Amino acid sequence: MPEIPEVSRRLVLGGTLATGALAVGLGSAASASAAPGSAAASLLTESAAPRRAAGQKSMVNVPFEPHETVRVGVIGLGNRGSGMTTGWSVIPGCVVTAVCDIRADRAKRTADGLVKAGKPRPVEFGGSDGSYAEMLKRDDIDLVYIATPWEFHYEQGRAALLAGKHVIVELPIATELDQLWDLVNTSERTRKNLMLSENCSYGRNELAMLKMGHEGVFGELTNGHGGYLHDLRALLFSDTYYTDSWRRLWHTRSTASFYPMHGLAPIAAAMDINRGDRMTTLTATATAPKGLADYRERFMPKSHPSWNETYINGDLVTCQIATANGRTIRAEHAVSAPRPYSRINSLVGSRGIFEDYAGTSTTDARVYFEPDHGGDTWRDFETYRKEFDHWLWKELGDEAENGGHGGMDYVLQWRTVQLMRAGLVPDIDVYDSASWCAPVPLSVKSLAAKGRPVEIPDFTRGSWVNLRMGLDSRTTEMPPVAP
Amino acid sequence: MTSPSKEHTMRTARLINPLRAAVAAAVLFVPAQAASAAPAPPAAAAESQTEVTVSPVDLDGPVIATVKVTVRNSAPQRLRSLKVSFAGPVGWAVQPSVQSVSGSFATGAPATATFHIQVPEKRSGFVIRTFTATATYQGGDGLGTATGVRTDRSGSPQANLAAAYNGVAITDESATTAGNYDGEGNSFSAQKLAAAGLTPGAKVEALGAGLTWPDVPAGTKDNVASAGQAVSLAGQGSRLVFLGSGVGSGATGKATVYYTDGTSTTGSFGFPNWSFDPVDAHGATLVASTDGRNRPDGYGNATVKYRVFANSIALDPSRTVEFVVLPANGNVHLFDMAIAS
Repeated sequence: MPEIPEVSRRLVLGGTLATGALAVGLGSAASASAAPGSAAASLLTESAAPRRAAGQKSMVNVPFEPHETVRVGVIGLGNRGSGMTTGWSVIPGCVVTAVCDIRADRAKRTADGLVKAGKPRPVEFGGSDGSYAEMLKRDDIDLVYIATPWEFHYEQGRAALLAGKHVIVELPIATELDQLWDLVNTSERTRKNLMLSENCSYGRNELAMLKMGHEGVFGELTNGHGGYLHDLRALLFSDTYYTDSWRRLWHTRSTASFYPMHGLAPIAAAMDINRGDRMTTLTATATAPKGLADYRERFMPKSHPSWNETYINGDLVTCQIATANGRTIRAEHAVSAPRPYSRINSLVGSRGIFEDYAGTSTTDARVYFEPDHGGDTWRDFETYRKEFDHWLWKELGDEAENGGHGGMDYVLQWRTVQLMRAGLVPDIDVYDSASWCAPVPLSVKSLAAKGRPVEIPDFTRGSWVNLRMGLDSRTTEMPPVAP
Repeated sequence: MTSPSKEHTMRTARLINPLRAAVAAAVLFVPAQAASAAPAPPAAAAESQTEVTVSPVDLDGPVIATVKVTVRNSAPQRLRSLKVSFAGPVGWAVQPSVQSVSGSFATGAPATATFHIQVPEKRSGFVIRTFTATATYQGGDGLGTATGVRTDRSGSPQANLAAAYNGVAITDESATTAGNYDGEGNSFSAQKLAAAGLTPGAKVEALGAGLTWPDVPAGTKDNVASAGQAVSLAGQGSRLVFLGSGVGSGATGKATVYYTDGTSTTGSFGFPNWSFDPVDAHGATLVASTDGRNRPDGYGNATVKYRVFANSIALDPSRTVEFVVLPANGNVHLFDMAIAS
């Protein structure tokens, strides 16, 4: 294993595990010393779910208090944050009231852009790593949107909750298990919702797939497959795209599935994870890290700072996840090698299968299910997407098409604002957010233990057994905006 | 349109057991041992003294609906050690799937169990939703198990089989690419079918029924790959005759016949593969045999026979057929169906 420079704990997934010191924190001594080959004995267990503090209650099915107008404060104004700030500003009944970035010029530029677009000027914060805390003191913010580098998500999300704001955080909400638990507990204590900004869960194909799963088109669901397969090499080595190359540097610090949520979350939603089923164990594998070094060798000048780096994360990190109801989910992360983009999106049941990214017609997806189909021949998804199109896309499709990421960003933002204005229960709650992000630290733990299965915590503390609504929601009107 | 068919199912209940119909409101009461038989012998129903009823289900999804299952013991002995399971259509999540009901229940005493079910958004077209509750117990009538079935219908069946056509089985030898009978782009030759007497609209007598060959031009939709479609069909008779053939292997399945009085019967049938199975596989009868087939690249396989068959299921001759739900097996392909007297 290559030498790893001393860095802050928040910059290294799994803390000491990621550096190879395995002895601490893997659960019981019995499990850590168990003989290989015994599946039950080799499970790396987590300690029991922490007890709720006195007065602390579940956030399951807890709605937003209704807001006539949703006032958004944004932390992080890089590529993602600035684009999403524009997105928030155009949603009916939403106004961006404050913007913050450690680089003050970004805050000013974003504020100028909003004014130029005819929107109210937000208050600007910036210039230091504590600027966001100043912004959180304001009382004209209902929702804080966080789009900073991963290492800041936990502390900023937690601070926003403690400041009495609802929070929506880009992926992941946190990178360590104790941080995930702390966000769950903080949400439960503050009675504020924290949501993962999981735009792909609002993808048109993903939502139609979910509805077909609920209809039973695929029979009893048994397995699914998702991932984030995106050749990011050019962006990772760009000197401007990721500020201070923060994302590339993660590849020098940890071996982990950094970012599987875009593929995992839609499959988890279709399987009603935390709504009748739950993820119980995770087993991770990783290939050797080859792609980034190879890219650097071929394309980066010897003077580039990346030549001081050693990449340790695998080109493909795979998490095999088991659920309480006997299903499996395979979640992949691959960003370091050439390939066309895919989130995979495969859902399989006793009577059929859905596969996305198949190169078919307008939807790119294909299906095969009994009794409608025979002859072992794929069918185009187009007809079925029309039948199972989610009401959000029927309602917003034309408007969404001009939004980012094929319209998913617009649908996510529109729906979030609608949920808050109408006083509804969030589609994605803090438990979903924590569960979907748990593979980040748990993959570290499993990989450090040579692929042994790791227990996935039940962030709902038992409520997962209860059926409840989620992304497969009922048609609801956006409350009218006062003139 | 939603028609949970309270009236429909109450009539069903009266036919099976008039004395219990009022109590069993909206529930089809089926003794477990007769649940899949058609029609149930009256004697078996009379033996059961345990009634299982399923409350109406809110089908205006997506919603998490609450369902109450009631078990009523009519036997002189007390019923005890009761467990109730509940299931909806395949793939619909239920919580819990089974539960124990404590206590013992005297004659006439109801026991209830409450379940939650994830109901998806309502589908367009004709849909039958079936909910099944099964009670296992000790004591009571001594049978140990009883089942209640609730069937809700929405939408309307297809007007006729032609309205359900979903594939092209017949092409002209000069234009074969539109065909796809077997999932691989192959189809019957219109010329060879004509040589065997099967021209558009031709009358076909088989197994006592008068059937009609699809009256459509070659290269257009002309058959139904069976997928549980509901198709209207009126009349009375002793058998329902299907005209078709199979693709792949295992072209068999159950067809359910619904009568105007709300009752139903089920029968199994199958077809040989259009080319390679024995002609009498699954009890079918050969209707016509043609030489060769049309492939995407033109007519070919001239030395191989491609065939059409007939097969049938029993009907209750005392009742009037309203519609038929076709087998849920896409390997079963149908050109027509008719009632034989």
